[in-house]
Amino acid sequence: MKSGLVFVKLVNPCSGEGALYLFDMCLQQLFEIKVFKEKHHSWFINQSVQSGGLLHFVTPMDPLFLFLHYLIKADKEGKFQPLDQVVVDDVFPNCILLLKLPELEKLLRHVTEEKEIGKKKYYKYSKEKTLKWLEKKVNQTVAALKNNSINVGARVQSAAFFSGHQISSDREEDYIRYAHGLISDYITKELSDDLSKYLKLPEYSASLPKPPSKKVKLSDEPVEAKEDYTKFNTKDMKTEKKNSKMTAAQKVLAKVDKSGMKSIDSFFGAKNKKKS
Amino acid sequence: MDSGDEIDVEKHRIHLRPITLRDAAPATLHLLPCEVGVSRPAPVERFFTPAIRQGPDGLQVSFRGRSLRGEEVEVPPGLLGYVMVMEEKPVGKQDFSAGSDREEQELVEPPEALERDFDRFIGASASFSRFTLWGLETTPGPDAKVRAALAWPGLAEAIHAQVPQD
Repeated sequence: MKSGLVFVKLVNPCSGEGALYLFDMCLQQLFEIKVFKEKHHSWFINQSVQSGGLLHFVTPMDPLFLFLHYLIKADKEGKFQPLDQVVVDDVFPNCILLLKLPELEKLLRHVTEEKEIGKKKYYKYSKEKTLKWLEKKVNQTVAALKNNSINVGARVQSAAFFSGHQISSDREEDYIRYAHGLISDYITKELSDDLSKYLKLPEYSASLPKPPSKKVKLSDEPVEAKEDYTKFNTKDMKTEKKNSKMTAAQKVLAKVDKSGMKSIDSFFGAKNKKKS
Repeated sequence: MDSGDEIDVEKHRIHLRPITLRDAAPATLHLLPCEVGVSRPAPVERFFTPAIRQGPDGLQVSFRGRSLRGEEVEVPPGLLGYVMVMEEKPVGKQDFSAGSDREEQELVEPPEALERDFDRFIGASASFSRFTLWGLETTPGPDAKVRAALAWPGLAEAIHAQVPQD
């Protein structure tokens, strides 16, 4: 039986590690696979139980991100090369499937310079063109973020208290930073930094909202007798200490935010680094 | 498909039987707020399903004596849910995972030879367009992480859509 759909392991263009993809040979399309995974979940599927509670998502993937991985690698040699010499991988040999994708020439024009010698095409990575292409990617992602009403601002933490209300104060810059973070999950760290500069994303200077968890934490303290003034004082001291700890933590948070990373992981229940 | 299958993918391709996608019968799915250690048949229809009640704040049921509150969750528009099952390895076929020389040879074959005799197959055993999401004591609500994950396909579409040529 001729099967058109095949699961293969290919390189993750961001981390360089392996990732699972679905390849549709009939539609000539590449799909990526992401897994929702949260602690303490299981499925009941008809008359059976399935532990883990995983939910896999198969979504279309722009193959150019994968080509970029190989083009940048090959660019170290600094010359024009035919594509079948660029897309070479001992670890993920299934990468040859990428060469079967339709309209490759048109696709590659976004990120490469090309030469034609004797009917054969030769390609060379162009950083300038790639940054232009990525900027367009960021722009169309910004549009989708707005359409899907996804809160992107730093104020999203405090906004959570007024659920259902559209936050009108999300600034354009917040959207661009958020989209930049999403795209960065498909490109190398180096290219991500270059893109940040190219988009002229300013250093993250906006003051972060104070973590709302402070009060909750305080209530964990054993309740002391109110009449005892000395004890009340020491408790206050403790509180202050805690606050200074918080500011230290906030500094770390601010550092994290500087890179403007908003990982796709935030959609899949992976541990959110921003939450302490 | 469980995570253990990913190991297979390194050397094998896993082919999806397209016909199973068309023939998959609708299934009833519940996402529980607890981990059941093993995957196995379970008499869901006998114990769980008849105990589900429609309460004022969503569906109610209990599992292992704990009260659960649930709500129906739709699969995002344009998508369909599938339950996938890996086919057992056919007996008598050789496993080439140790013989790397053989692997190398396969590579120089024309890419048209998509199916190789050590590849594996996966098929859809059921389909779904919705499932019931359960929370302990209270309904998971709009902030449930699985709901955030369900927003992903819409965003992924924009990230990966082709950009216009200059």
